[in-house]
Amino acid sequence: MAVFASSTLFLLLLLVCSVGTAVGGVHFSTLARTLNVTASPKQGQVLMAGVDKIRVFWGLNQTVKAGTDDAYKKVKVKLCFAPVSQENRGWRKTEDDLKKDKTCQFSLTTQPYTKNPNPSSFEYTLERELPTATYFVRVFVLDGSDTEVAYGQNTDAQKTTNLIQVIGITGRHASLDIAAACFSAFSVVSLIFFFVKEKRKGSKN
Amino acid sequence: MEQLEMEEHGTIRSSSSSSYHQGGFKMPVDSEHKATQFWLFSIASPHMRSFHLSWFSFFSCFVSTFAAPPLLPIIRDNLNLTSADIANAGIASVSGAVFARLVMGTACDLVGPRLASATLILLTAPAVFCTSLITSPASYLIVRFFTGFSLASFVSTQFWMSSMFSAPKVGVANGISGGWGNLGGGATQLIMPVLYSIIHRAGSTNFTAWRIAFFIPGLVQVLSAIAVLAFGQDMPDGDFSRLKKSGDKPKDNFADVFRHGASNYRGWILALTYGYCFGVELTVDNIIAEYFYDRFDLNLRTAGVIAASFGLANIVSRPGGGWLSDVLAMRFGMRGRLWGLWLVQMIGGLLCVLLGQMDSLTSSVLVMIFFSFFCQAACGLTYGVVPFISRRSLGLVSGMTGGGGNVGAVVSQLLFFRGSKYSKETGISLMGVMILCCTLPIMLIYFPQWGGMLCGPSSKENATEEGYYSSEWSCEEKEKGFHLASLKFAANSMNERGKKGSGSLPTVHVDGLSATV
Repeated sequence: MAVFASSTLFLLLLLVCSVGTAVGGVHFSTLARTLNVTASPKQGQVLMAGVDKIRVFWGLNQTVKAGTDDAYKKVKVKLCFAPVSQENRGWRKTEDDLKKDKTCQFSLTTQPYTKNPNPSSFEYTLERELPTATYFVRVFVLDGSDTEVAYGQNTDAQKTTNLIQVIGITGRHASLDIAAACFSAFSVVSLIFFFVKEKRKGSKN
Repeated sequence: MEQLEMEEHGTIRSSSSSSYHQGGFKMPVDSEHKATQFWLFSIASPHMRSFHLSWFSFFSCFVSTFAAPPLLPIIRDNLNLTSADIANAGIASVSGAVFARLVMGTACDLVGPRLASATLILLTAPAVFCTSLITSPASYLIVRFFTGFSLASFVSTQFWMSSMFSAPKVGVANGISGGWGNLGGGATQLIMPVLYSIIHRAGSTNFTAWRIAFFIPGLVQVLSAIAVLAFGQDMPDGDFSRLKKSGDKPKDNFADVFRHGASNYRGWILALTYGYCFGVELTVDNIIAEYFYDRFDLNLRTAGVIAASFGLANIVSRPGGGWLSDVLAMRFGMRGRLWGLWLVQMIGGLLCVLLGQMDSLTSSVLVMIFFSFFCQAACGLTYGVVPFISRRSLGLVSGMTGGGGNVGAVVSQLLFFRGSKYSKETGISLMGVMILCCTLPIMLIYFPQWGGMLCGPSSKENATEEGYYSSEWSCEEKEKGFHLASLKFAANSMNERGKKGSGSLPTVHVDGLSATV
């Protein structure tokens, strides 16, 4: 009885939580590539997370017809995984539905869109929590309801050029290394201590 | 000569002294001083204290072994792991224990469960601490491999319970200690993310926070092993070393223990079938979060909660199996234990096939919950039978069965969950089919004194409990009296005949003398 009651409660909880995943998002293939995006790192340059900076430039592509950007309200600049860093890693998979898409996991900034003939820019210090990977920059344009309407990226459609290589921090510290050594030693020493104690007890008897 | 009387459920008690509190124990015991009752909320020494020490230390090993999977979203970014790296490390984490469980079984037979388990746990704790130092896929695999060795403490847990608890209660003691240990695999899916977020919020970066988090399971593991050494005791009458000195426990040798355990076909059959209840449980522990995450597009936390619930069912499911084994034995004896095991594991297999066919989230979770109960109960039922297969080589048989469980996990993950040959749902259904096939050999297990699934007990003269257990000792060894402990066990195991069998009064050896009742 208790089993059925608890499993029913659990299922209700799951249903409530899963409702959020039922609503789909904008499809990437429907977005127009209307922005020109460039980033400061040169091809082959390796950057260190937490230390190095990149500068992202974006501006409306002058070849699109006037008035395209009337609905543009905000831009969201994101750092996205290049295909080489997505290989064999299903948790970074590219999906057309932007709600399910896991390509672009790092938001650098969200800014208001300005109708400026000169490209806008943003300087970003690579955050310390960035993993070691190869990236590109993608800028999404949002309308008044925060829905994606267009985009631009600093690489080509196949995502093979102008990629940014980042080396992440290891997360290791000297203090952790010492602690691990001490605790491991403590573990082995306590075993030896008890063995010696047993031997002494045995020889006493 | 002592008068012996049979109680309703066939437990032999001596009526010459009060049957309760023989030898000054706080609990009622049999002639081997094994407890005939099980008091869950007591820490009475030595029986219940040993129970709590053993299940908790085993629980901490499970928490450490499966501490990485819930933190994989952080670890895989830190170490730049691929899916293949993760799958290989998952296989490595359960393969170390295959060999370790066999060694552990023999170690228990030779030095006792207290020293054997504490040694293993203290020597694998450094692998847990060193997890905070790793920086590559290869080092990730290595630490998971060595940490996984600690799962061999399962064998010492079962051996210890089989030494402390008498036949009517051995199923429930083994079931609860095993189940509450396996619980660690589910609890860790909740504990590690909580530890990580506390440390992360306190100011560490993500890639440092997960490393610090690993110190907690490591420390708990070390402290529980020290508690085992300081407060535990191998057998009701004392530790192996003391008993060996006083001559109460003759020193056995590895070659004979190995020979008798390895030549008992029943141990091999249970090793195979355990691979398809416990092995399946380990496989599911490794793949189920990813399965729900990918198939039903859940977020990682929800997938983790579902993954945890599979392991958490162990609170009641495995003990339930042990309890069911004991209940069936009271009425039907060993035949009841075997039928119960076969039926429960077959139903588990059917539910596994069904799980892979479920297309909706709610039906999948529902089937998975039922599947977890049957799969884990089968583990408890298996260890209701194991204590009776051999007395001399109890540890080795326990180890073979336990090791077989891990082999099942390795084989299942290699065949069905590596690479992209099968989708995960097809893999799960195929694993279910394999469970059904590999459970059939239980029909081949036959004890001359008790029967098997399809045949009753033999009517030959030496088809008795003493005949079975003393056949593990040679004539010279019998002359020296090495087999006396086995004879006591044989007398105490007579309730495995069930209600019908215990009606006839047998010839029983007590303290080397023969008494016809």
